[in-house]
Amino acid sequence: MILSFDTWQITLFSLAVGLASTVLILPFGITLAWLFARKEWPLKSVVETIVLLPLVMPPVSTGLILLKIFGRRSPLGQWLYNRGFEIVFNWKGVLIAMAVMSFPLLVRSVRTSFGEVNPRLEQIAATLGASPLKIFFVVTVPLAYKGIVAGALLAFSRALGEFGATILLAGNIPGRTQTLSLAIYNFVQVGKDPEAFVLLGITVVLAFLFVWTSEWLLRTEKKV
Amino acid sequence: MLLRCRISLATFELDIDVRFDARVTAIFGPSGSGKTTLLDAIAGLREIASGEIEIGGKTLFSSVRKINLAPQRRNLGYVPQEGALFPHLSVRRNILFGSGRVSRGAAAQSMSMEHVLEILEIGHLLDRSVTELSGGESQRVALARAILSRPQLLLFDEPLAALDIGLKEKILPYLARVRDEFAIPMIYVTHNVTEVLTLADWVLVIRSGRLMAQGLPSETLTSSRAIRAMPEEELENVFTVEFIEADKASGRSRARLSSGDEIFVPYVPTPAQRNIQVRVRADDILIATQRPEGISAANILPGTVRNVEMIEDQSLVRVHAGEIFCVRVTAGAITRLALHEGSAVFLIIKTRSFQLL
Repeated sequence: MILSFDTWQITLFSLAVGLASTVLILPFGITLAWLFARKEWPLKSVVETIVLLPLVMPPVSTGLILLKIFGRRSPLGQWLYNRGFEIVFNWKGVLIAMAVMSFPLLVRSVRTSFGEVNPRLEQIAATLGASPLKIFFVVTVPLAYKGIVAGALLAFSRALGEFGATILLAGNIPGRTQTLSLAIYNFVQVGKDPEAFVLLGITVVLAFLFVWTSEWLLRTEKKV
Repeated sequence: MLLRCRISLATFELDIDVRFDARVTAIFGPSGSGKTTLLDAIAGLREIASGEIEIGGKTLFSSVRKINLAPQRRNLGYVPQEGALFPHLSVRRNILFGSGRVSRGAAAQSMSMEHVLEILEIGHLLDRSVTELSGGESQRVALARAILSRPQLLLFDEPLAALDIGLKEKILPYLARVRDEFAIPMIYVTHNVTEVLTLADWVLVIRSGRLMAQGLPSETLTSSRAIRAMPEEELENVFTVEFIEADKASGRSRARLSSGDEIFVPYVPTPAQRNIQVRVRADDILIATQRPEGISAANILPGTVRNVEMIEDQSLVRVHAGEIFCVRVTAGAITRLALHEGSAVFLIIKTRSFQLL
């Protein structure tokens, strides 16, 4: 099947920003998941709840909050704008919306796989003289890597499917901020169903691949 | 070397002062008596509410002086019950995991990797994945890993508890070889009498976080306080004997007690070392006041009762018959035979009641 230029542009833009968002949240997500799984600290449960909020809140509400935080009239938005960073209504807005919406999925998945790593192994590594950093990178992460990859895939697919928060923060501007989900909505709105179905097919294939890989990874992890 | 340990935890209060020149100090007690807690506290793996831990004059922990050395800086080797090998690393990388640590003292000299592999007979396993190892192999690899981190003290947390009995007896000699070959003091936690009697030079008996008794294993483990802390079936005698000859046809071997008296033990091919350890459970020894005739048991040892001790509803009779044998009988048997200190008796022990270790 030959896809039109616009279809390619929309698909590649979605994949690129989705990938960037996943890469962006990985270090934070892994660190936070480790803090949740291994450490006790004050207000931990409050922070956990806040991190999970985007998962249950209406995405549009999250989008509105992000708009208020990053909009040019907010102190942060103003500050960023003065330094040449405009978040709202361009690809950076798409990136932020995707990152915030997919973050809880990454944290949850990684946290679970950290929880499945036997803490005794980390303790024994410590008695063998390994620094906390060495323990983390040589024991904990390798033992949890399948959960981390699965979490990243899940976050990536959630990012691709993002709609509500993106449309509020970045708008639905063809060629600038239009992602697969936004484009499908647009095509249906204007009655271009065939174009919408092509994009629909792409999303189904991508989603299938991601979920299938992620589930396969988690299944094989259980066997070890 | 001196271990001072005063720790309070929620469930647990322990105050021990052990000066051990002993190579192996066993900490003996039933499950749930706080043995693992104690080891974790020494290794720095568990928070302690208050107290002090000092090894060889060096303070590892002191709530008063606000000292709490990280496990990394305590320089202790820990061999946990389940081995806890890193499942994603090869045997070689497991063994070398802690080998980067700077070594101190003369003990480190004898601890070349080749030597450790040879003593534990695991050289052929180096390139295996640890998931392919048997229970006994895993424990030997865990032991090699701990030794090669060149610790000042080795901590063992019931390293044989997860193995079945046959395997235990195969691993015990390796532990004895490590004890004899490397000059590393050991603290060995267990609830198994055989392990204490075989390996340890000194034993602390703890129960519910309290020190009940301490001393030489052969004396301490038959003391009434220790027996109360011990599972029923585990009261036993362990002796070192000199192997004389094996006789396959009769199904038995002759061995000599340190007193020179000979005993019959089950047949085994003549072992490489002449000195072997045998054990016999205190419940498997009969006492007679006259030499019995026409009886299948091959060991009839004349002896003298050293003392009789009542512990709740059971009686413990210590009889000198070449060695001090500890025999457990009912209170009724004491009355019927009128046993008392100085009574002349015969101990009757079936050949097969002796087990070779």
